Amino acid sequence: MFKAEQTKANKRQANQTQKKTGAWLETKQISQSAVTIVAVLMCFVSLFCALSFGAADISFTDVWYSIWPTETGKDIGFIQRIIWELRMPRAILALLAGSGLAISGLILQTVTRNPLADPYLFGISSGASLGVVILITFTGSIFTPMTPIAAFAGSLVAMFMLMLIAGRRQSQQVESMLLAGVALSFLFSSFTNLLLYHTDPQAVTAVLFWTMGSFSRAQWENLLFPTVVIIACITFMLAYRRQLNAMLLGDESAMTLGINVNRFRLIMLLLSSLITATLVSMCGGIGFVGLMIPHIVRFFISQGTIFGILLTALVGGIFMIWVDILSRTVLENQELPVGVITAATGSIFFLTLLYFRKNQPS
Amino acid sequence: MSQGLKIAKSALLTAEHLSWCTDGNLILDDISFIVEQGSFTGILGPNGAGKSSLLRCLYRFVKPEQGLVSFERDDIWQLNANDYAKNVAVVLQETPSHFNLTVHDVVALGLIPHKGLFARANKADDEKIVKAIAQVGLVHKTQQNFEHLSGGEKQRALIARAIVQSPRLLIMDEPTSHLDVRYQIQIMELAKSLGITVIATFHDLNLASAMCDDLLVLDQGKLVCQGTPKAVLTKEMLSDVFGVCADISEHHQHKVPHISYYYGYIQDEHGEHHV
Repeated sequence: MFKAEQTKANKRQANQTQKKTGAWLETKQISQSAVTIVAVLMCFVSLFCALSFGAADISFTDVWYSIWPTETGKDIGFIQRIIWELRMPRAILALLAGSGLAISGLILQTVTRNPLADPYLFGISSGASLGVVILITFTGSIFTPMTPIAAFAGSLVAMFMLMLIAGRRQSQQVESMLLAGVALSFLFSSFTNLLLYHTDPQAVTAVLFWTMGSFSRAQWENLLFPTVVIIACITFMLAYRRQLNAMLLGDESAMTLGINVNRFRLIMLLLSSLITATLVSMCGGIGFVGLMIPHIVRFFISQGTIFGILLTALVGGIFMIWVDILSRTVLENQELPVGVITAATGSIFFLTLLYFRKNQPS
Repeated sequence: MSQGLKIAKSALLTAEHLSWCTDGNLILDDISFIVEQGSFTGILGPNGAGKSSLLRCLYRFVKPEQGLVSFERDDIWQLNANDYAKNVAVVLQETPSHFNLTVHDVVALGLIPHKGLFARANKADDEKIVKAIAQVGLVHKTQQNFEHLSGGEKQRALIARAIVQSPRLLIMDEPTSHLDVRYQIQIMELAKSLGITVIATFHDLNLASAMCDDLLVLDQGKLVCQGTPKAVLTKEMLSDVFGVCADISEHHQHKVPHISYYYGYIQDEHGEHHV
């Protein structure tokens, strides 16, 4: 009797709530497409602003005419060159760097189940710095076409060392990965500092500026490689989005869904490292973005969906475009290092978040 | 379910001479049993008896050193991990997660073994997810953060995930630990209502008695007895394996064995108080 009554009650509840779900799914879809449209629009507006703002102020109409030139337009050859050869590649690189770092942070945070994981935590950027410093010490020249290659090689070395260590201990992969990452990061930094101690001060300044990040080396012919890497990685993530979500509930649970957990995590680490290595070699060290952007997005939406992954990439890109605009315009005739701005905004953001959460009655 | 009907059914999962040891400690020692199709099997035993380890061998998390586990005559280690996941769903004890996954997202994970890489969830999948959430009574929490659910709700969400996985065997490791009495009963009745084969570990012997068709009792890695609750839950077994004194009576609702424990174990040091 008790059972019959309960099933009745359950059924009633189910019927009632089923209607609610339907409505919710609909509103969710509407708000998702609305947010996507807003984000894409924001992205274009930001790109437009990035083309307009700078040392030489270019009006929006001039930007418009240099992108879509008309016969009747006034002669804007000089402006067109600034936009096409300087600002456009730079803005695109910023967009790529922002979305790449955000995605790379999202991957790492997911597969290690650690919300504080960041590409920099795993020693990848210190490996890149070491590569650059070794190059400078042995060749004496400060910036050559070889610099990105040295940075890339350094991060690859760091990445493979990490994978060797983490791949060995299958049972506690996450723990050994995090510990090994921190240890490697300090190891590389100590070598870097040792080398810097013995090089001339001018090289030290150059290296210091490089580690703080800049988009000033952006050129059209350099953009293809990072574009391919980042698009490929995002596609890969979209394909494996369900598996990524499954990792959040623990290795054992993911394994019962038919996932080869250890192999999957190593592949994802490889992807994330590849993005970081590519970006570090082009823009130097830009911290905090990989940590902050997935956090912000996660605060509002569930990140496991196609929508969540793409939005994380977009928000990262938009954020970075504005960071670049700031870095070019805050000081007259001078560029601020991008890494300084990201770190400053990042820490202020986290402190604000902490403050509001504390004051929120939970 | 009558005894005759059960024998007519075929075995779904068979374990033969399972042994597993870590660092020289024998965790599982020569365990053999058969799980019939459609049955509800409970695994009992004191802490550290090897219940979870035995389950881990059944869901392919650990490979036993010796012995064979077969799912419908196939060695489970010869099967593809994905194919096995299509047939066997597992509900584990709750795991902490600091990520913003909604209940809907968690339940949707049950699609993983059935979906190709770029395949999107179609209408049928969505309906399956919504239905599973309704079945466990969590519809009003669909868009809530999984992490903010109570222990019982989390277990129900994980069962909904298992329903979406549409398995033929459901394995549950301590699904009712840390839960209130009401939820303990609710979770187990929910599992039973699915109409599929279930293997679960239990802490509460009376709950196991009420729910299970078959019981396996483990002690120090050995299978000490197996059979129906009536055959297994005896005074002797409770005293030998669990070290407690108890009376066994018949539960007045469903006529299965009901255990009433005796208390006063501190004075029992010298073996005086036996009933």
